[in-house]
Amino acid sequence: MNRPRVGILYHESFSRRSYLTVGRRLADFPAALDDLLRDDRFRLYRCPEVSDSLILQVHTPDLIPEVEADPL
Amino acid sequence: MEAAQKICLGEVDRAFAFIGAGGHHAGRNFFGGYCCFNDVAIAVDHLRKSYGTHRFAILDTDAHHGDGTRDIFQGDPDVLHVCICGMNYVSPDGTKVDVPVPWGGRDPDESYLKIAEAAFASRVRAFRPDLTIWYFGFDGHQGDYGDMGLSLRAFVGLADFMVAAAREASGGRLLTVLGGGSRTDLATLIIPQVIHRLANG
Repeated sequence: MNRPRVGILYHESFSRRSYLTVGRRLADFPAALDDLLRDDRFRLYRCPEVSDSLILQVHTPDLIPEVEADPL
Repeated sequence: MEAAQKICLGEVDRAFAFIGAGGHHAGRNFFGGYCCFNDVAIAVDHLRKSYGTHRFAILDTDAHHGDGTRDIFQGDPDVLHVCICGMNYVSPDGTKVDVPVPWGGRDPDESYLKIAEAAFASRVRAFRPDLTIWYFGFDGHQGDYGDMGLSLRAFVGLADFMVAAAREASGGRLLTVLGGGSRTDLATLIIPQVIHRLANG
């Protein structure tokens, strides 16, 4: 298989509840990428979870529990 | 972060990162605007520490100001952050820039593209980043919550512009991160076409 030009990072949870304004804006994905993924210039990868330790390199420690407590 | 890593490792030339929640309104110690953690900043920090990738240029075309990203990178001369929004600002060192876009007009797509290109093209060329990042929101589309009168044409045009800008400034390395936009029909229409354009050039 050729090396892809474009990597697409996606996780199925994004389609269940993505961007909290509406909730399911990505409901049609990943199926909406089917045509693209028939082209070997594109490859879909499953997005891994980011650890708290990486988040804490950028954000203050109190932010994680504040986000977890947010009702949205 | 994984998307940026794949570019740095040479597994792909460009990447498109879907998201679960927004990132650019999350600052060092605050969050809001439907953003939780700053995905772009976490990726930048990780790449610096793990891969020695140091200079980053970000174009933010979400309809709203990327205040969280600005908070985190304020005072960092190795991050160029150009935000196309409702504000007008240039930092003393020229690396933090806000550019206003008037709503509407005869051809909102063309106006927006001209403003974005004028704000970013020469700056990113001079800055010579290791990685170019496009924070791409489609909330400025007609009928979405950041309505700027834009249509699909503007987003496809931005994708073409970003591919060309990254080719010239950062060896083609371009990370596109999804930002705002709420409508399912627009996401399904716009996102695949934007990704398709990322393979060109």
